[in-house]
Amino acid sequence: MKQVTGRLMAGGVLAALTLTMVLHAQEFKIGKYDVQAHGFGTQGYIKTNDNNWLTMQTSGDGSGVFTDAGLNLGSQITSKLRFGGQVYSRKLGALGDWHPQLDWGMADYKAKPWLGFRGGKVKTVLGLYNDVQDLDFANTYALLPQSIYPIDLRDAMIAHEGGDIYGRTKLAGGLGTIAYTAYGGRRSDSMSSGYPYELKSAVGIHLTSYGGPVFGGDLRWLTPVKNLKLGMSRQNERISAAGTFAGAPYAERSRHDWTNQFYGQYTANRWHAESEYKRYYRDQIASYGTPGAFDIDQDIRGWYVGGGFTVNKWLEGGSYFSHYRDIYGGNLPIVYADAATKDLDKVVTAKFTLNRFTTVKVEGHFMDGAPNEFYPAGFYAAENPKGFANDTNAVVVRTGLSF
Amino acid sequence: MKKLLHAFLLVALASIFVVQAKAQVIVIANPSVKASEVSKNDLKDVFTGASTTLGGGNVVPILLKGGTANDEFLQAYIGKNDTAYRAGWRSLVFSGQATMPKSLDGDAAVVEFVAHNAGAIGYIGKASAHEGVKVLTVK
Repeated sequence: MKQVTGRLMAGGVLAALTLTMVLHAQEFKIGKYDVQAHGFGTQGYIKTNDNNWLTMQTSGDGSGVFTDAGLNLGSQITSKLRFGGQVYSRKLGALGDWHPQLDWGMADYKAKPWLGFRGGKVKTVLGLYNDVQDLDFANTYALLPQSIYPIDLRDAMIAHEGGDIYGRTKLAGGLGTIAYTAYGGRRSDSMSSGYPYELKSAVGIHLTSYGGPVFGGDLRWLTPVKNLKLGMSRQNERISAAGTFAGAPYAERSRHDWTNQFYGQYTANRWHAESEYKRYYRDQIASYGTPGAFDIDQDIRGWYVGGGFTVNKWLEGGSYFSHYRDIYGGNLPIVYADAATKDLDKVVTAKFTLNRFTTVKVEGHFMDGAPNEFYPAGFYAAENPKGFANDTNAVVVRTGLSF
Repeated sequence: MKKLLHAFLLVALASIFVVQAKAQVIVIANPSVKASEVSKNDLKDVFTGASTTLGGGNVVPILLKGGTANDEFLQAYIGKNDTAYRAGWRSLVFSGQATMPKSLDGDAAVVEFVAHNAGAIGYIGKASAHEGVKVLTVK
């Protein structure tokens, strides 16, 4: 089996290299307008020593059910007006299930450098990487810090249907540049995302919808210190869910649902270093039959410190420490063990850039804790029916292609 | 002391080469571009998609597909190699923030395009002919 997996990975790399020889960004015309087509895809493999991770059967021989792809079309209509859209599909263990979705699709009108508008389905700016979290080629790491960017909850965070106002302006007195984004709209989760899967697989709740109004903003300061960026994001949501539980209607609604995120990044020649802190607080009322049956109150706090060094044009090394803690509240009589509420993940990465289009990453994760409370955080009861070990080591190999 | 002197000479020599390398590329623009000079920071903003204006007018960056002038420009003014630079642009494309700039096959193609498209700004080797475009001084 290991040989088969190795061959699959080698085949994946070979196929990616071959594809890059024939695939290039395409440009064609529709009427008088130039239209660009771009795409990306990744194939990953994860092996853990204990605990199955990210809804995959990662222990034992490991799992290669870790694939995603996106296809993108865009056109600059005038110097101020742009249209674009992207279709995305993935299979991550039990998540995604290859359901193609409109990742984003929008019109963008940039009236002035300090005032632009986006409308449609728009990627959500939240912290350093939320809107570029699945662009494997652009990131040092095979998996971004899961305390801030949980890959199993990608669908929940990635975009909103609505509009953005954005811009950037230089501050007087050489104080740098301010960039801002403010947005409002609606979030609508895929039913093959992490939270619906958690409810279905662990509790037997079948959701049919999950989402609601969302609004927020991001403010980032490109400081006078060269290549030092500082920022903060805020997001408020009002989530409601519908479904069934044991044959009866099931519903959820938010009393509170908000996120605060603070971040900083510094780049210098071959180095980059970054850190983020995120607090996500959700207070949900869940009911089945009897309204207000129980209260789910979670205070999730994550942070990481990381950095990378570009050795040469082929190789970049990186490392981060990611800290996740879920403080559970509410009126359910549940007491979680310490290891079920935390994930302290120490990570080392090597990123190999084979050519302009292809990357291969090899990454080691050394995790203390396996969070498996009411809100998903990588470790799911359905894939770990015998319970959870406290520690998990993982090796992640990921090949990425983009054009 | 002798070693120190050698080291100093080596650094000085390297600096000369760096300066010369920068001097081998010129930044050109369509005559409609109002600016006649550009700061290194503003140039970097335009060529990384952070800004679409220069001197109060809209500008559109034009890239070389590869080659020495391309590598020198990216190293001198962007601080990245070609692969990392284009990955940065693809990030903007895939997150819906920009469309990829045109990449043209050689200096002549860049000059031709920049000369005939309002707001276009590009870079070429210093020795290349560049009729019909203006040369921007990089401060």
